[in-house]
Amino acid sequence: MVKKQVKGIVDVFRGGAAFLAEKPITYNFPPEFTVAEKAKGRHTLDMETCRHCGLCANVCPNHAIEMVKREEGTDDSKKTVRYPQIDFSKCCFCSLCVEICPTKSLKMTNASVMVAMDTKQFLLPPEELAKPPELQMPEPLKIKGAKSWARSRSLWVMNYFTGCCFIEAVPWVGSGFDMERFGMIVARNPRMADVLLVGGYVTEKTVKRIIRIYEQMPLPKFVIALGNCPMGGGTYWDSYNTIKRIDDYIPVDIWIAGCPPRPEAIGFAVVAAINHIQNGYAGKEEKVKLTKKLQLPPVLPEDNLDPKERILPFGPQHPGTGNFSLKLTTNGELVTKAEPQVGYLHRGFEKLMEYRTWYQNIMLVQRICVLDGGAYELAYSMAVEQLAGIEIPERAKYLRTIQAEFSRIQSHLLNLGLVGGATGFHTMQNITWGDREKILKLLDEMTGARIYHIYNPPGGVFRDIPDNFKDHTMKVITNFRKRLKEYDKVFIENPTFQARTLKLGVLPREVAIAHDITGPNIRASGVDFDVRRAIPYAAYEALDFEVPTFKEGDAYHRIVARRLEIEESFRIIEQALEKLPSGPIRAKFGSYKHKIPEGEAISFIESARGELVYHLVSNGGNSPYRAKVRGPMFDAIVVLLPKLLVGTYIADVPVIYWSLDNCPADHDR
Amino acid sequence: MTALEEIKDYLLKELKAEFSVNEQVNCFKVSKDNYWKAAKYLQEQKFQRMLTISAIDWIEKDLFSVYFIVHKFPENIYVKVETEIPRTEPKITSIHELWPTAGLKERETWEMFQITFEGNDDLRPLFLEEEPEIAPFRKEFDWREFYKASLTEK
Repeated sequence: MVKKQVKGIVDVFRGGAAFLAEKPITYNFPPEFTVAEKAKGRHTLDMETCRHCGLCANVCPNHAIEMVKREEGTDDSKKTVRYPQIDFSKCCFCSLCVEICPTKSLKMTNASVMVAMDTKQFLLPPEELAKPPELQMPEPLKIKGAKSWARSRSLWVMNYFTGCCFIEAVPWVGSGFDMERFGMIVARNPRMADVLLVGGYVTEKTVKRIIRIYEQMPLPKFVIALGNCPMGGGTYWDSYNTIKRIDDYIPVDIWIAGCPPRPEAIGFAVVAAINHIQNGYAGKEEKVKLTKKLQLPPVLPEDNLDPKERILPFGPQHPGTGNFSLKLTTNGELVTKAEPQVGYLHRGFEKLMEYRTWYQNIMLVQRICVLDGGAYELAYSMAVEQLAGIEIPERAKYLRTIQAEFSRIQSHLLNLGLVGGATGFHTMQNITWGDREKILKLLDEMTGARIYHIYNPPGGVFRDIPDNFKDHTMKVITNFRKRLKEYDKVFIENPTFQARTLKLGVLPREVAIAHDITGPNIRASGVDFDVRRAIPYAAYEALDFEVPTFKEGDAYHRIVARRLEIEESFRIIEQALEKLPSGPIRAKFGSYKHKIPEGEAISFIESARGELVYHLVSNGGNSPYRAKVRGPMFDAIVVLLPKLLVGTYIADVPVIYWSLDNCPADHDR
Repeated sequence: MTALEEIKDYLLKELKAEFSVNEQVNCFKVSKDNYWKAAKYLQEQKFQRMLTISAIDWIEKDLFSVYFIVHKFPENIYVKVETEIPRTEPKITSIHELWPTAGLKERETWEMFQITFEGNDDLRPLFLEEEPEIAPFRKEFDWREFYKASLTEK
């Protein structure tokens, strides 16, 4: 009897321990750090082996590398040589310079934390690059008075994620990094916020909204800018529609370099901010000059508006939309009309690609849709290979499949979390976003980067998987399968969640086809269409997988379709790792200025959101003459979403919106 | 006769199209007058999915290529129809009433290339807030020059 009771108690503890062993990852802060190569962080330069060829400076698409003169040798035989100097306020960590370096004297390390109050500190001359990177905590400054101390410990943050950096802010606010341990919480209203976090590139359309929010914040106010784009345009430095330096408009206190910066870097910036604020720092002087060009157009009621109706702007700074806006006409709680307002993320990708060579573009294409970058580089490389007539090695096909499937899984997990947030189910958000870190960790191991992998150049893949990668993956997959069952109990079969999503936003089969919906959205409406089967690419033909389909076509089944696809993706990865053939991983493509014969190519792939099409046209030059990207979201959001929203309640708008799994960067391009 | 052969037969004989195959895609090049007819025919043949409408600026030939890609279930046929219009008179008949998503795709093409789709009343800026002075995706607009000019302004 006693034995049984003891066993009962021990079992409870065992169960608890098992749960904790599989718990979502929360990173330690400050991170443990040993300098290692084969990652995509700060460069190191070996000055002795550098051949001064300048190839790294030539291949850099962002012009971040400059060759600077240095005098060498004794007095008798002095000679002038050139070494690379890197401006990390421009560098996007794409590793093209490292790949091209003939002596491998330029390398990348895992040191990715770069935070400064002045962008000039990001300029590292060759002598600095030669030193191994160190991670130093920001210096604690003296506390000046109780008021400053109290202020520094309770910063309320206004998040405005304008672009790609959104993806690394997800672990930052979620359980992966947990910003609340720094005493910060998300402010829902600019009038209560102390800190404005600007995440990513800023277009002409977005900058007006940022200024409006900044003006509404009470003094003292602090601005933290994420990524390289607000410093000088970043990857989109020659785009016609992005602003180049955000501090021409609003003052910025702390800059974080990276593309996107890792969540650890945001943590360092915040610690630096806390140190300065407790020392009495009260932000820079306001310098907003509100010219007519920067003023927002007023939201005027339409002339023929029913007196019972109101106009409700929904977004672009809204946790339920991302950087995307809906103009809702409402009658009480009911939506009577919805008009999408897109273009907040429009950078003009198709033309940016014309200014970069076929090879350099591999750095750019992922950034079209940050949520599922892997698919976008795969489709691009497939189109280029089609044009150039390159057959890629078998092993590379399998590695591409593995990367694309990991990318799909992390995208679906992100979406489950967003749906959790939209339905007010924040437990789910924290569970899925924490688990997503496990997948990102594997991608980091495999490709060297968490988000922008730059893994699939035309001709194959850049690097082989590490030795113990298969074991790590298998371990994660085994644990994840148990977690997914947990998801079903907590989330999918939860009656409250079902009440929020079942029979909501119903998309009938014929409407879905006519509106060119693809991916899990159309499969939830009863159409069994998957490009991986219709036109098999990479290694999909040799792999066995199911495509979950449902007839109902409502928000709930779109979400369940994604949940089931995660499981199928794990099956694909398992098989691909099992069948992985040996051999080379890259076919010869030519130099970075390689010219491709005249012609055109169209490639189709199944991204996490649906069918993705690249149409590339060559006129025989070393860069595309015209590139057209047909992403899966344009029709779903710009054309279909307003029709789905009519007649629903305001509270259901974010649920329907995220059940379609939008990526605003994809439809705006 | 398979569905594809039937389409080829009609487009080649009736509309005098040029035919080529690009991997999965069947490409037809028609004259400007037959562009709408080809679209109408494909829509009647149950090509339900309209993937894209876009343009290519051939500045040296003084031409715009306007094209669209459609797809048919369940045979899985992709068809691309292309036509050429002079750069001096960038106008073409709109096909917005044939597919529900075509109108907005024409609106995007109008914004980026300033090509007028006759019959589409909804041609107004989509991504940008104001109508740009010069169409951003046209070849005569050099973004690198524009960037340099914006630096010297400050």
